[in-house]
Amino acid sequence: MQADRRRLNGPTSGTAPPVFATPPNWKVQRPTRSRKPDEHRKIFLRTGIVPSASGSAYYEIPPQTPSQQDELLIPQSSSLKVTCTVHGPRPLPRNAAFSPNLLLTTHVKFAPFATRNRRGYVRDASERDLGVHLETALRGVIIGERWPKSGCEVVITVLEGEEDAWWGDAGNEQDGGKAGGWALVDAGIDCVDMVSGGVAAVVQQGSADEKMDRDVVLIDPTPSEHYGIKAACVVGYLQSRDEVTEMWMKGDAGTDTEALVEGAVRAASLARTVLAEAIKEAVELRSDESHDNAHANGSAKAEKTKQKDVVMTG
Amino acid sequence: MAPYTGIPLSPAELSYLHTSLSQHPPIRPDARSPTAFRPLIAETDILPAANGSARICFADGTEAIVGVKAEVEKTPSASSHSINSHSINGEVADEGVRGLGSGGVRDVEDDGMDVDGGEDGKQSSKGRDEWLEVAIDIPGMRDDDALPVFLSAMLTEALLADGALKDKLYINTRFHWRLYIDILLLSLPLSYPLPLLSLTTHLALLATRLPALVSEKDEDPLFNDDWEASTHLYPPTKDETARQKPPITLLVMSVGENILFDPSREELAVADAVVAISVTQSHTNTTGPDADADADADSPNPLHLIALRTIDPPSRLTAAGLPNSLNTSAGAGAGAASQSLSSVEVAVTREKDQGVSVWRPPRGGVKRAVLARMIKMVVQAGGVGEEVLGGLRGVEI
Repeated sequence: MQADRRRLNGPTSGTAPPVFATPPNWKVQRPTRSRKPDEHRKIFLRTGIVPSASGSAYYEIPPQTPSQQDELLIPQSSSLKVTCTVHGPRPLPRNAAFSPNLLLTTHVKFAPFATRNRRGYVRDASERDLGVHLETALRGVIIGERWPKSGCEVVITVLEGEEDAWWGDAGNEQDGGKAGGWALVDAGIDCVDMVSGGVAAVVQQGSADEKMDRDVVLIDPTPSEHYGIKAACVVGYLQSRDEVTEMWMKGDAGTDTEALVEGAVRAASLARTVLAEAIKEAVELRSDESHDNAHANGSAKAEKTKQKDVVMTG
Repeated sequence: MAPYTGIPLSPAELSYLHTSLSQHPPIRPDARSPTAFRPLIAETDILPAANGSARICFADGTEAIVGVKAEVEKTPSASSHSINSHSINGEVADEGVRGLGSGGVRDVEDDGMDVDGGEDGKQSSKGRDEWLEVAIDIPGMRDDDALPVFLSAMLTEALLADGALKDKLYINTRFHWRLYIDILLLSLPLSYPLPLLSLTTHLALLATRLPALVSEKDEDPLFNDDWEASTHLYPPTKDETARQKPPITLLVMSVGENILFDPSREELAVADAVVAISVTQSHTNTTGPDADADADADSPNPLHLIALRTIDPPSRLTAAGLPNSLNTSAGAGAGAASQSLSSVEVAVTREKDQGVSVWRPPRGGVKRAVLARMIKMVVQAGGVGEEVLGGLRGVEI
């Protein structure tokens, strides 16, 4: 008799499903924060990565703590990877209405693979909302009236989002707005200052079995590391003017509101040091290239400077 | 994102408005005091087919209707088994899809509440963010335009922030209410419609009633079909000040050092910064006295800040004025001389003017001190927040 070729038949004797052995009293450990409350994670930042855009940046927070010995398939903490490109300023299309200022449009998009849950290709409400936040933060920085009748697009793609809840799956959008500032400066648009982003949160200290008694203000919180985040605050901060272009606060911070804002501003000024250094690097690289195009040592020198770590100082 | 781009005001008018608003005390176009609100007309329970509804009409002609509808829905089984366990817990797949509104803070907060709930975790974090749906319809705008998206995110965020509302939607482990809040702006968005929509939503939620439950525990829910017996989502109390209330969102703007509430369209056009501040009354349990004991001394229900967002002021879209020294039609720089000004010189002259002699759209952000003062003015005892809530108390529900 002819064998059935149209389907893949299982073995005649049957199989047992694989069972993954777990230690009997194994408990999933929530990652813990090993940094000090006022310590920011390290940032990797490089500008000028997309040649076709007039300004671009890549921003990454690499995973800080190597995963422990109780290895799981799924990483306990994720890193944040964001790219940002700026297109423009360029003239508005002919049929557009007259605008005396630079028209800024912002797009924030999570890559479909950015979070544990797949995101669609069409921007959803949260991404649009984030785009508005980003726009608010940037609109205050650029000097729009110097660019009449022109438009500028800022596109942020989140390649890898930060986990929001432990084992949860919503991406942490709060850091998303950060990278915008860097690329914008790279594009050579007139700005009053460099904007930098910072996040802080009021977190209840204590673990599951303790009584939650005190609230601590942390800068640059990692959502997966904390049980109870009571309130979080994102700011876009202009350090040299000591002004806030964007503030977004959620949750009830009670009496800690001021401290929370203070923390977020501190985080922003820490991030700014890295930003300033990255821009300086990019400018050096550019001037090197223009100076001695014949000498090949330009790139080598750039490589050397890239390796240097910047210490964040507030 | 701007609510409207065509501000029909010339640089001279903008400069005039800005100057008068930066006086001490500020002189507002309609002669209000900085904290005064425009009069409004409000009524509730206008839609017979909705669980709760409200309509507010502002003096400038903007009007909004909010209808609240509730549906019983089966809770996905993922959350029915052991919500409290901290292992791979009830964070089902679509958590946080609605975004920031349902993003991290509160999800994590749930865990925290489990913890201090203690004996029975289900008592404290039974609600889920996605049980609440806010839809905003603004005439002339698409659903996915920035303004409606931003407004609904802002309102959702405020409603969910304290976790009180979503917990009220819990029926039993298998069923819950799903609340649809449909906000309809009837007029064109003349001024920034956020406070209007927020206050209307507030009233509609206060008027919302759900059928009384007659079934017990985890049975399939069965409701009393007598509407008279229905229960309020926010049950009224004898002392109206102690009643638990949905949050309100207020629009605050600053011009220089001055802080103005309920800005009109013209005022927004010269704002240095616009901030939306959501406040709510702190939780008071039905056992009132002991809740009062740990609250602040002077006021029984102090207001709490639960959300804050800066809003891109429309003033940044306005056109800058031209200083007289550059204006050829005003006779300055007579012909040949002005021709010789290079673009750099023009830019320098404009920059030096710094918005002193002519209007220039504001740059930069807002000082932290001003922000802190705004928050304080809303939240403090006897502040604007209490005043607004007090005013809304007069609306018959």
